Amino acid sequence: MARKPRPDRAEVCIIGAGASGATAAKVLTEAGVRVVALERGPWRRRESFGGDELANINRYNLWPDPLLNPRTARTSAAEPAREELFCPVPQMVGGGTVHWQGWLPRFTPNDFRLRTIAGPLEGASLADWPIGYDELEPYYDRVEWAFGVSGLAGANRFEGPRSRGYPCPPMPMSRYAENFHRGCAALGWNSFPTPQAALSRPFGGRPATVVSAFAQQHGDPTGTRSSALNVFVPQAAATGRYDLRPDCYVRELVLDAEGRLRSAVYEDADGDLVEQEADLFLLACGAVESARLLLLSRSGRFPAGLANGSDLVGRNVTFHEYSAAIGLFDDPVYAWAGGGYVSASSFQFYEHDERRGFVSGGHVAAAGVGIPLPINWRLPGAPAWGAEAKRVDREAFNHSMAVAMVLHDMPQHDNRVDLDDGMVDAWGLPVARITLTPHRNDLDQGRFLIDRSAEILEAGGARSVTKVYAERVTGNCSHQHGTARMGDDPAASVLNRWCQAHEVDNLFVIDGSSFPTGTGANPTLTIMANAWRVCDHILANRGRFARAGLAASGASR
Amino acid sequence: MAGEAAIEQEAPRAFDPHQRDTVAAAMARIIPSDETPGAREAGTIDFLERFLSGTGFIYAKPDGSGFETLSGRHEQAWRRRIDILRRRYAEGVRELDGRSRHRFGRDFVALAPQEQDEILRAAERHEAWPGGEAPAADAGTGPALQQTSAEIDLDFLPLLVLHTRQGFLADPVYGGNRDQAGWRAIGFPGPASLAEVHSGRYSTLAWFAEGHTDPSFENRKPHHGA
Repeated sequence: MARKPRPDRAEVCIIGAGASGATAAKVLTEAGVRVVALERGPWRRRESFGGDELANINRYNLWPDPLLNPRTARTSAAEPAREELFCPVPQMVGGGTVHWQGWLPRFTPNDFRLRTIAGPLEGASLADWPIGYDELEPYYDRVEWAFGVSGLAGANRFEGPRSRGYPCPPMPMSRYAENFHRGCAALGWNSFPTPQAALSRPFGGRPATVVSAFAQQHGDPTGTRSSALNVFVPQAAATGRYDLRPDCYVRELVLDAEGRLRSAVYEDADGDLVEQEADLFLLACGAVESARLLLLSRSGRFPAGLANGSDLVGRNVTFHEYSAAIGLFDDPVYAWAGGGYVSASSFQFYEHDERRGFVSGGHVAAAGVGIPLPINWRLPGAPAWGAEAKRVDREAFNHSMAVAMVLHDMPQHDNRVDLDDGMVDAWGLPVARITLTPHRNDLDQGRFLIDRSAEILEAGGARSVTKVYAERVTGNCSHQHGTARMGDDPAASVLNRWCQAHEVDNLFVIDGSSFPTGTGANPTLTIMANAWRVCDHILANRGRFARAGLAASGASR
Repeated sequence: MAGEAAIEQEAPRAFDPHQRDTVAAAMARIIPSDETPGAREAGTIDFLERFLSGTGFIYAKPDGSGFETLSGRHEQAWRRRIDILRRRYAEGVRELDGRSRHRFGRDFVALAPQEQDEILRAAERHEAWPGGEAPAADAGTGPALQQTSAEIDLDFLPLLVLHTRQGFLADPVYGGNRDQAGWRAIGFPGPASLAEVHSGRYSTLAWFAEGHTDPSFENRKPHHGA
């Protein structure tokens, strides 16, 4: 590798251009800040996406190719790690929002104080957040309106107070949503249209979203879905202050003599090494890769990884597990038709209720079976091949739907991301190794939520129901959090309430790494709202982060 | 048809004739033909040979106008993956024949369908057999719901099932799902072509919400690939 001339120093360098990195880029560039962004993956245009299940799902067109970007996993430190595509997220401009379906519920006020609400849980490292719902609410509102979200204010009776409604009414109600709402109504449970990163009508200069079977886990060739790629990246680029460099893989963050971050060293598309200096660095690679980059950045001051004097970087990692009850209906439901677009949710079993015998709960929602499809469609319990398998495919494909859950898994000190000492990626860097044992609470909560999901299907008219309990945590939601907790105590957290490293004052981590608990809801709305909040703080303190004379920003408030 | 002729013409081979016949026969048991088309009519073997012929048919262009040319690390990764898969098929065919000769005294292709099913089930269960070693079962458990799988980690039988399903239900541009036979069999009104999705013309709103029509192919023109 050759070393290229050093580019101009930047005011802010954002590493990653997914949900949080693109939000930060929009907020900072629109406020006049010049930003350099380093994204390891390509900057794909909408013309490069298609309705191709084989390419997108089975051939890693959007998922990381495990031969290039492997990960390893194990259930305890005592056992060898095996190669596993654990909790993958697309690595490209737009990140997980490129292929998501975009369920965007808000967290509830109690999500920010679960330790207080539920008390201690043996074996878990529950913690309250250093911030509350009220502090985040204005940013939820900004993201919903800037990004373009369709939903119905007030419909989720467990939601916290809102400063206003959604910019667009809910997306059309699907046939499977009708079954879901009917089931919930019969049981006396609250249900609501799922807030969706899509436009039910033209908004903000963008046309209404095309409803297609090729949505969940597919890119969007129409450019009509709300994603970081379609919305925040172009908005940041339009300022002329967003120097977004795709195919630039940051290998290490380098300190200066004073212990502040000096530069990010990256390998560019030509395979050459480049050193980018900046006043301020925002890490936005997702909770697994952000932790990995911190751990890869070792120095005399931080021999165990950057900002890791507490030994907490990578620990307390949480992943949502997706599982479902599957119902068969006499009338066709065509649950493939939304491509994972759900349109009906319930938070009835979201809040903590000690009578249930476990901590917290999760979001349940109507969904297709085994989306994406049809290749990857499969009725649980059916044979894999032969005449009977074909019969089940034929009879159930148009007549089945799922009610799925977002499992709120508990943080544990020993559940962690670290570096695998036995495997490197295609760029020669040690890969992320996941060590994770599900907490008893995760399994109990999962069974409870799947049982309730099955009841919704039965009450909604299903002829038969199959339950698929989550027996382990595999990261199959792509949701990842907790690897650099925020908190007020530097001994018990990596970041302060502004997601600024306690030990490195010009380093902020703005993705889900900061979340002390994973909650039972889809995290990306909160990730974007929190990134916006952090950037507002950075803007309010602009100038303090210059090369010299910096005050700890936490003290400035 | 012109489309089929084009595929035939450019169809590079990954298998020798015996391997091809054996894999095709096994695929015909994975998705059998009955009153609706099965793997044989959908051309899943053509899909598979095309896939394994090199790195020229990995990704269709999103508008269906041809195939992407891979380069750099991606091309190397796919070359490595295809080498591994071709070896697994070569071993798998040897295993099916070995089991068939041991049990019935004939190669797999010469067996009756029910006998072939018996052999496939034995391979699936990794049953020991004196003529050879039963390959070790994958140490892990199956993927969770929706989890994408690392194809090269699969044993021969699950791999064959996956590829048969892909050849039956992937977009016809990849050489299988001939005349949308797979989509018709399960009642999926897929797009007339990849260009339909790429252009935004393909909408499933009619099936999604009120005002639906039953899946019907009467006014659809099947396509045969690029």
